[in-house]
Amino acid sequence: MLEVKSLSVSYGAVQALSNVSVHVAPGEFVSLIGSNGAGKTTLLNSIMNIIGKSKGAVTFDGKEVTKMRTPNIVTKGMAIVPEGRRIFSNMTVRENLEMGGFKRPAAEVKTKLQQMFELFPVLEERQTQTAGMLSGGEQQMLAIGRALMTSPKLLLMDEPSMGLAPLVIKEVYEKLKVLAAGGLTILLVEQNATMALKYAQRGYVLENGRIILQGRASELLGDNEVKRAYLGKEYKEKWER
Amino acid sequence: MQFLYSGLTSGSIYGLVALGFNIIYNTTGLINFAQGEFVMLGGMLIYSLFCVFEVPFYTALPLTLLGCFIIGVLYERVFINLARYKTEINLVTLTIAASIIMRDVAMHIWGRDSLRVDDYIPVVNVQMPGGVISSQSILIIAVSMLVAWGLNMFLKKSKYGKAMRACFDDQTAAETCGINVRSVRIMSFAVSSAMAGIAGVIISPITFVTYDDGIMIGLKGFAAAILGGLGNFWAAVAGGLLLGIFESFSASVIPSGYKDAMAFFVILLILFFKPDGLFGRKKATRV
Repeated sequence: MLEVKSLSVSYGAVQALSNVSVHVAPGEFVSLIGSNGAGKTTLLNSIMNIIGKSKGAVTFDGKEVTKMRTPNIVTKGMAIVPEGRRIFSNMTVRENLEMGGFKRPAAEVKTKLQQMFELFPVLEERQTQTAGMLSGGEQQMLAIGRALMTSPKLLLMDEPSMGLAPLVIKEVYEKLKVLAAGGLTILLVEQNATMALKYAQRGYVLENGRIILQGRASELLGDNEVKRAYLGKEYKEKWER
Repeated sequence: MQFLYSGLTSGSIYGLVALGFNIIYNTTGLINFAQGEFVMLGGMLIYSLFCVFEVPFYTALPLTLLGCFIIGVLYERVFINLARYKTEINLVTLTIAASIIMRDVAMHIWGRDSLRVDDYIPVVNVQMPGGVISSQSILIIAVSMLVAWGLNMFLKKSKYGKAMRACFDDQTAAETCGINVRSVRIMSFAVSSAMAGIAGVIISPITFVTYDDGIMIGLKGFAAAILGGLGNFWAAVAGGLLLGIFESFSASVIPSGYKDAMAFFVILLILFFKPDGLFGRKKATRV
């Protein structure tokens, strides 16, 4: 469904991504893990063309989208839940969701809204509230809901666990699991490697702008290298015991 | 009371111009200093069409607004869109440059004299408690309120209005919703230019129109927008009315030559003591 071929991105003299190749098959839940500054957000943003690419190609659903502008990529069926959620904080919850359906026919927006309210009951309760007043977890749900309103085939998730309490993180991932079971393809990037790999089928490890490991998520979870680099604390505890 | 009526009249105009500032600020975060020039343009176009070419008023009016609308689009395309580095300071400087260019072009086309726009509604003076108010003033106040109300409905209820607000909140996020931020920006320039055009049309029978009208009207509209608080439409209208009334009452106390200075005195006070404006609302954020 998504094929990223030797993508490179640089910010001035700093090479943020070099020769990154990632692919996601239809129906897959793929997690890409990496520490702070590894280039995870850069990867997603350059796939969506929110930032420019210096080299490489991206194909989505069999069509090349390397140079396509963001709104057009969205219309093609790829949606992103951006880092830090970036909801429209001065608009109401309902308006935020409606904006996600901007390019969709009115009838579809209506049914989609109902679906979102079923999936995230808290959003229905708070639909007339200003989005900026929601809690972090609720904002994350809203950001996911808004992205889903675009009727995507592929959902890119940027660090859903950021700034959330462990219980809330679990709740968010459970929602993603439901969505994946419903046939949505997901590419997720995370610092929280345990969570991300537990829910995914396949995984990649990104370090300093390069893919250093890839494989089945369960294998990566057990990989010593991954443990050393990303599960540091827990690994140490196990090792000392 | 007479001061109140004349204050309300000029205040409505300031309010309309302040609304124009607000539309562009809301979608792009920019202060468009050529806003006043579009008011002048509206006045000039209605003068040319209605008084020189003698087009019937109800044809001349839509043509004038259309003209302002189109020039607004061209303005965005040429001055704002072509700028290589779109930092706010660059773009604001460009709007000032554009205002000077528009003024000079207007001077060459229409000359330096004040042009009289003939009355297009019957002029009657309505007796009001404590003074008189002309039918043209009533028209100005009514049209301004109507435009403010319409704009508010547009932004609150319509899909494109909401998209404009979304762009104001977060342009990148708006793009990830499939909203084309470029078109929204063009639209906001076009709409605010057309609104300035309306202001130009309704005041020109009272104040006449001169090529350099834009400076004062633009700056006073800006003062009104600051007074009310940028980012809020009703605040802009209220700011305009307050400024107009304040100005007109001040003329009764201090020499009227200082009248124009009052607007800037108001800006200073607001910036010193209440930078968000009288009715300005801080953005809702949760930390």
